[in-house]
Amino acid sequence: MEFESSRDLTNRAEANFAKTRLAAPGRWVMLLIFFLFDAALPAQTRIAQGAAQSPANAPASHLFTDEIGRRVEVPAAVEHIVSLAPNLTEIVFALGKGDHLAGDTDFCDYPAEAAQKPRVGGPVNPNLEEIVALTPDLILATRAINRRETVEALARIGLPVYVTDPHSVDEMITSVEHVGEVLHAEKAAAALVGDLRERLSYLDRRIAATAPRRVLFVVWTDPLISVGSGTFIADALHRAGARSVVDTAAEWPRLNLEEIIRLQPEVLVFASAHAGDTQHDIDALRTRPGWRDLDALRRGKIVVISDAINRPAPRMVDAVEQLAHALHPDSFGRGGSPANAAHIAEEACACAR
Amino acid sequence: MRPLTMKRLLWTCGALAGVLLACVVLALKLGAVPISVTDLVLNLGRIAIGRSDELPTEYRLIVFDLRLPRILLGIMVGAALSVSGASFQALLRNPLADPFVLGVSSGAALGSILALIVAPQFALLTPLGAFLGAGATIAAVYYLGRREGQLDSTTLLLGGIICASFLSAIIMFLMTTLAGRDLRGMVFWLMGDLSTPVPAGLRWIFTAGLLAAIGAIYTTAADLNLLLTGEREAIHLGVDVTRVKLVVYVSASLLTALAVSVSGAIGYVGLLVPHAVRLLFGSDYRLLIPASALGGAIAIVVADMLARTVVAPTELPVGAMTAMAGAPVFIYLLRRGLR
Amino acid sequence: MTVRLNVEQASFAYAASARSAPTFTLGATSFQAHERELIAILGPNASGKSTLLRLISGTIAPLSGRVELDGHETSRLDSRTRAQRIAVVHQESPIIYPALAGDFVLQGRHPYGRALRLASQEDIAIARNALAQVGAEHLAHRTIGELSGGEKQRVILARALAQQPRLVLLDEPTLHLDIGAQVELLERLRQLAEENKYAVVVVTHELALVAEFADHVVLLHHGTCLRVGPPAAVYQRELLEQVFEAPLEVELGPAGRPRVNLRARRSEDAT
Repeated sequence: MEFESSRDLTNRAEANFAKTRLAAPGRWVMLLIFFLFDAALPAQTRIAQGAAQSPANAPASHLFTDEIGRRVEVPAAVEHIVSLAPNLTEIVFALGKGDHLAGDTDFCDYPAEAAQKPRVGGPVNPNLEEIVALTPDLILATRAINRRETVEALARIGLPVYVTDPHSVDEMITSVEHVGEVLHAEKAAAALVGDLRERLSYLDRRIAATAPRRVLFVVWTDPLISVGSGTFIADALHRAGARSVVDTAAEWPRLNLEEIIRLQPEVLVFASAHAGDTQHDIDALRTRPGWRDLDALRRGKIVVISDAINRPAPRMVDAVEQLAHALHPDSFGRGGSPANAAHIAEEACACAR
Repeated sequence: MRPLTMKRLLWTCGALAGVLLACVVLALKLGAVPISVTDLVLNLGRIAIGRSDELPTEYRLIVFDLRLPRILLGIMVGAALSVSGASFQALLRNPLADPFVLGVSSGAALGSILALIVAPQFALLTPLGAFLGAGATIAAVYYLGRREGQLDSTTLLLGGIICASFLSAIIMFLMTTLAGRDLRGMVFWLMGDLSTPVPAGLRWIFTAGLLAAIGAIYTTAADLNLLLTGEREAIHLGVDVTRVKLVVYVSASLLTALAVSVSGAIGYVGLLVPHAVRLLFGSDYRLLIPASALGGAIAIVVADMLARTVVAPTELPVGAMTAMAGAPVFIYLLRRGLR
Repeated sequence: MTVRLNVEQASFAYAASARSAPTFTLGATSFQAHERELIAILGPNASGKSTLLRLISGTIAPLSGRVELDGHETSRLDSRTRAQRIAVVHQESPIIYPALAGDFVLQGRHPYGRALRLASQEDIAIARNALAQVGAEHLAHRTIGELSGGEKQRVILARALAQQPRLVLLDEPTLHLDIGAQVELLERLRQLAEENKYAVVVVTHELALVAEFADHVVLLHHGTCLRVGPPAAVYQRELLEQVFEAPLEVELGPAGRPRVNLRARRSEDAT
């Protein structure tokens, strides 16, 4: 309504608009209202620019429902993707769409090309302007680390945001399928998903007969933080033939060391990009009160796996395989272990009962 | 004798409004994506003649859908916090009063978090919860600050600090135990953050509430001058102290609540700005209130501009910027007061 | 001479709650103040002086009896009208923000202003005149904080004058003043009452000053009004000694005004 009347005013004043532009205070008031409440902007101009560029008769966009139930209209040809989480960046590259990735976050470090992409800030507080400046026609977000407010803000200015929400290894694989559909990379997704599922079912078959090992997954040592039972990491442990001694609904529970000493996990699991650094940290832990009372630490029952387990992306399956081989070496043939397999250090066998 | 005249009032406010306008233009220009002033003027012109559809899309999105609403939000938050700070200073007769220092911001934060937990689907409950939280906290602090029936400056500040830390502890408890993922953004919000745009429905309420509350406080501006020289004196000079206190108490709580519900706890603005205005223009509340509103707007627009640009593309919470500037001033005022 | 203030059998009681026994009572008190008169409410601490002052100023209503100014109950006046008729000067209260003395005096025009209460030319003229009446014109551009005790007291008095009241109440105005400033203040009060046809009521415990300057004295003790009358009638040795719990000597001066001296305890012990 306000827009219509402003348009009428404009037509009438067109002839000497230079004069009117400065002379009509009412218009400046309207302009202010216009700024204040973007609802006043005409609906047509709010549609993403992808529609304007493609021919009018071709199907301009497809409608998807994302993993948190939002409806997202994605252009038929996705040319500029912005990823707001490291795992989504990995998925985009794994699907062969790395060239179309216009921007990612400060934490996106895999594959190496991801680090070369323009950065939009951290996943929790990305710079909205930077995102818009990359003229994305699709933004990928994940509920676990991105903020609801960020997603809503981007959606409000007319940018399509697809949100994933995996809670398990299987849901991670489903996410890969979904992202494949949204990016129109169904074939690549099908091949990738098929491979991942096959590797996992091979693991399942191999360790089906063995009892799960009781492990403590160490996210952080000081203070001690582990994972809750509802997280995808807990599920990944389960797939690798391990069961976390921690059973809590909190996602990243801060734990009391006394409780862990009471539970006495069989194996401590660490995740790290550089195993050497972790080894140094573990050596330091051995002398610390409390920690040194852990049988697993005393006896060197420690597994260091790839930090890929921290990200619900295809590489996570590598980490699951590593862990499975380290925990259940007898279930796999000598030659069957992955190239970068982890190992349980058994150097302290002398003190075993 | 230098009585306040309408001329001086208008000139001061006009000058401050000019500074604010300059800051807004600068803030529109600077950002993760730099924009030239020429383009800015050109595009403003296009909008002014109703040809907004001719705007380049990302300009429109960045400048008019992201940057401008954020600047306008900053203006309103800055005005709200500064005026509520100036009001609490008169109400409590304490130059160190500030919604953040008194714990009112924490109360509003707790109120809005509770509203988010109880009924996340009703966005309008957040400012209401913030208002109730702010009102309850200032009542508690006021009660704690009384000693033998008199409002004691030191006790009042201690009461505020204790309330703030108690409320923060409850907030931490809620955020840890409820483990709701949607509360994770609260960490940013608790430090004061303008990066999240406000839903359109809330903007109307925010603007209307802001104007109403500042207007209500302004009607008592002359009374506040007298209240500052003492409650007894004010009564004998014809001030309806009970009414004035009620109006200012409710309005200042409302302002704090509005600001906190959209931007989190941005600290020290309510302390810093009125004090700077006093130094520059004197302590007459008839001038102090509008000048603080404009000054607060300038302060937040500048602070947020810095927060957006110093480590771009990463953003700092604007509360960190204001606290960096505000805490030293607070200590300075405290030391000066103790001497 | 017209009667300005009429206090008739006024009493008051403080109680912790509506049902509990009163913790302090002010018994029925009656006296009148005419225009141009200076009345002193005299008594030691906790004798009920402040309560009586609050009754007169209208901030509390009497439990029984009445307090009238020009025929109107002071406690029933709305706060604005009351401020136009009664000016109250308290012991100085802390000033948080520095204000110019002139602007401070202009606050006295508050009950007359509207909305924003920006000072009119008339207000400024009245404030200037008020400062002149207390001999403090030269202080107008100084900040309150840098004034001496006596100067501050004069500026506060000027603010009361700017209210153009019919009754000026002063609560212990001499408390922080040296003897010279005390005498100067009371002389000024007498003179102002004369010039402006005010009635002036001073609450004090300064026996000597009251004897010298008051037209009438209201003597209070433990919440009871013991005596009302001119100094010569009220100043009786036994009475004052009982009230102030000090050995005193009272003699009549040449102008018919009594003089009070402290009787040295040591000499009494020696005899």
